[in-house]
Amino acid sequence: MIKYLSLIAVLCCVLNVSAQEIDADLIAIKERMDAVNAFTADLELDLDAPFINMPTKHASMQYQKGKDIKFSSDDFVVLPKRGLDFALSELFEHPFITVNRGEESLHGILVKVLNVIPTGDESDMALATLYLDTHNQRIAASEITTKKQGTYKLDMRYAANQDILPNYVEVSFAIEKLKIPLNFMGSDTKIDRKTLRNMDTKTGKIKLQISNYKID
Amino acid sequence: MMIPLLKVELFKLFRESKTWYAIAAVLLIEGIILTAAYYQGATILELLLDNLRQSFYFEGNLLNGNLLLYIILNSLWFNLPLILMIVSSALITEEYKNGTLKTLMLQAVSKWQLITAKYITSFIFTALILALLMLTTCILAYSIFGSGDLVVYLGTLNFFPAEEAFKRICLAFASGLLSMLFFTTVSLTLGILLKEPAKTWIASAFFLILCSLLLKADFGVPAVERFFFPKLTNAWQHFFEYDLDLNSILMDNLLLAGYTVFFALIGIYLFTKKDIG
Repeated sequence: MIKYLSLIAVLCCVLNVSAQEIDADLIAIKERMDAVNAFTADLELDLDAPFINMPTKHASMQYQKGKDIKFSSDDFVVLPKRGLDFALSELFEHPFITVNRGEESLHGILVKVLNVIPTGDESDMALATLYLDTHNQRIAASEITTKKQGTYKLDMRYAANQDILPNYVEVSFAIEKLKIPLNFMGSDTKIDRKTLRNMDTKTGKIKLQISNYKID
Repeated sequence: MMIPLLKVELFKLFRESKTWYAIAAVLLIEGIILTAAYYQGATILELLLDNLRQSFYFEGNLLNGNLLLYIILNSLWFNLPLILMIVSSALITEEYKNGTLKTLMLQAVSKWQLITAKYITSFIFTALILALLMLTTCILAYSIFGSGDLVVYLGTLNFFPAEEAFKRICLAFASGLLSMLFFTTVSLTLGILLKEPAKTWIASAFFLILCSLLLKADFGVPAVERFFFPKLTNAWQHFFEYDLDLNSILMDNLLLAGYTVFFALIGIYLFTKKDIG
């Protein structure tokens, strides 16, 4: 009798876990995002990297559900490969499970911390930590570790409580030391080997101010 | 008196076939550099942006007229001064070689006026070549490759918007002109000293090579690093530092102009003190 009861208990647990593989709050956020069919917005980009000087740049972005985000600019602009996937389509592209890590305070609000772990080999993502603003049903921050492109940290701010799309995104990324071809250097440009050695990997940031959202 | 002398000197300069050969050589070098820069530029950009490419998308074209103008400016280090020095020194060495100085001195012309006119002629020729180089490069580079942001590596990767890049390129050409004037003035002074064309060309080339070696050498003495003339011949490059230190650039250019006047005064002094013949 005890054996049967134990077996039933184990089965219930397994079924319960498989039913909660994807966090309900994350699904709610995804559903809220899915309500956005398309949007356009203006971007103001500031690159803050240790050995790159770039003035503030402007671009515009176009999103259409099911398609890649398109950018256009009259300037030369550098746009992060990760961080602008507001629809979480990359995340939901391949199967994954979520693990609830509890709650934390972020920028003065209580957020739910979730680990997202892909269950297959297809995803480029190795692990993601999402910080969910469950009260306003949106992502507050995330940290994505990829298999090929290092780790990215994303910090999102919103203009109003009801907004689903952020008005400010800060993407932090690791950047390797520069490989400079000698024939491109000025004649009096000196190579400081000590500095170059210490520049192995640094953290850079790209700050995006997003305005003039036109949402469909 | 100086204006007629200048007219005569300019007339003689442009009657010389070697002047036109020099102009043709400059334009040919420009064409070669532009072609090479196009292929080299693509590889350079590929390497420069390789680290960023892993994390970012790029929107826009960096292989544009501004980058090619910057690469052309880099050729000012060696190719252009060498040609200009040969033509400038010939202003006096050819007169020695052909014995025409004696005839000239039979006219009512003072020695200092004659040699000053030759220095001014060398200045005008240098400025004209630089203007021609800039004009043709701008026309070719912008018409073929268009405008766009400029990326330059000077310790850091510096990106400049197209308008800012063009402004800095113009200022760099102006500063590069001072550098060219310095070299041509020295070559004319060497011509006065050595009199023979071949010897002067060798001495001028040696001076240019020495300057380029000393420019890269690290003396470890701040005063030498700051005020020694080879260190000032590259002042134009400072226009591509992200944060412009205009006072420092102005000081470098004024010092270089001072050295130019100093070498010209030595030449004028030597010429007036020396016997003709």
